[in-house]
Amino acid sequence: MGGFLDYSPGNSFLHRLNPIVKIFLSLMICVSCFITDSPFFCIAIIFLNIVMAASAGILPRALAMLRTLIKFCTFLFLIQVFFIRDGTVLFSLPFDIYVTDKGVMFSLMMAFRLVGATLPLALMLSITKMNDLSNVLVGTLGMPYKYAFSLTTAIRFIPVFTAEMAGIMEAQTARGVAFDTKNIFRKIGLIFPLCVPLLITSVRKIEGAAISAELRGFNCRKRDSGYKSYPFRAADIGIILFAFALAAAGAFSPF
Amino acid sequence: MIRISGLSFKYEGGRDDALKNIDMTVCKGDFLGVIGSSGAGKTTLLHAINGIIPHHFHGDYYGSVKVNGLDTVDNKPEDLAGRVGSVRQDFESQMVSSVVEDEILFGLENFSVPRNTIEKRLTDALEKTGIKNLRERNIATLSGGQKQKVAISAIIALMPDILILDEPTGELDPQSSRQIFQLLRELNENHGITIVVVEQKIMLLCEFARKLAVMNCGRVILQGRVSDVLKKSRDMERAGVNCPRVVTLADRLRDEGLYDGAIPVNIPEAEKMVRSIMG
Repeated sequence: MGGFLDYSPGNSFLHRLNPIVKIFLSLMICVSCFITDSPFFCIAIIFLNIVMAASAGILPRALAMLRTLIKFCTFLFLIQVFFIRDGTVLFSLPFDIYVTDKGVMFSLMMAFRLVGATLPLALMLSITKMNDLSNVLVGTLGMPYKYAFSLTTAIRFIPVFTAEMAGIMEAQTARGVAFDTKNIFRKIGLIFPLCVPLLITSVRKIEGAAISAELRGFNCRKRDSGYKSYPFRAADIGIILFAFALAAAGAFSPF
Repeated sequence: MIRISGLSFKYEGGRDDALKNIDMTVCKGDFLGVIGSSGAGKTTLLHAINGIIPHHFHGDYYGSVKVNGLDTVDNKPEDLAGRVGSVRQDFESQMVSSVVEDEILFGLENFSVPRNTIEKRLTDALEKTGIKNLRERNIATLSGGQKQKVAISAIIALMPDILILDEPTGELDPQSSRQIFQLLRELNENHGITIVVVEQKIMLLCEFARKLAVMNCGRVILQGRVSDVLKKSRDMERAGVNCPRVVTLADRLRDEGLYDGAIPVNIPEAEKMVRSIMG
């Protein structure tokens, strides 16, 4: 199992889908999360994400992502819930701070939407080769190759830079820097200066990749240069219809 | 063939010339090793051959570099890329894909290689480097040696006439280093690919390269057949290059007047030398 967003090889139903359909499905899942007013529908979407991840053989990665997102969303929920002043007061705290029913519902929906909308994109990118993605963006959607390559390279570099940052932090830890401090502000203060070496390394890596791409004929690429073809099969059509149905269900969710 | 004539280059904003009046000819089928201390200009020389200099790194450029008759000033790196395959020192940053197969396809697709030949080229490149079983693997999960082989596969799939490599064993253990050089020898001897390799491990160059160039402070101070260059071991040491111990031994025996034969470049040859002295 690779890191966050690393391609996870496989031959599952989702792996075999057309890359455009995968991205379309994940976008429609995001849309359905944002157009629904039902927290139950959002929970169902999160569950759907987990089921999809399990069927693609990346359940541990999905659960790890879910855990991280839940921590982050809990933090956001606690901040947001005190800023909504409308609605019936559920309980009050000193200094005119109180929590309302609307505040709880709004913050809860925000947290659910964030989880429901983040998971599908990350999961789909984990089961799609970046080369396939850039080929369909160029070949099917007509995006200029330079933009498609930039997009896929940016996605590909996320785990690379994550690993780079982990390396820098390990090196600093070995020199006695205590990143495991409980004080969040102190932690931010320790991590912030590491952005400089990370930036330098990143620029160097990107320049190296650019030179290497140029040395392998990057500028000679044409729209139809892709080796593989990506036909739309019956399953792809079915998933497109399912994605539309999901969005419609989100919009007209009765519960 | 590579012909370098009177090449001098100073990086934009640099104080000194990185390359100073280089004259060098690499013939078709040569296996040339380039060695020198850090900052000697080895990587700059390779950049001048593949056209990265002057098209990517700018500066004061004098002289000429011709690759198969094409001047690198008039032809961009992508024009030369079909002839010159480059494996960079930081091979990790050379990777543009996350899967081995895609990494090799990248160059083939860019050059619009006919689709009916791509599969053969891909499998041939993987077979030559012995990593056919890694085709579907995520590059991030490979070892350093395997990544290096992927980087080389991606280049040889383009079927270049010339392969230039910048310290290909820099991050590898001795066994993997030998594997890489054995692969280069195989490409050179069986497929006729001209090899120019910058390498710090002198023993590997002595064993596998046929010619050697020693660089110091931007100049090529020695070049020729390996055994001829090794005769000037003191010049090499002045340039910061440690000679193999067998060469140092031969030098001492020569100084003592005990030996006057060919310079040994590996242990079996050194054994022969000692046996000839012992009678």
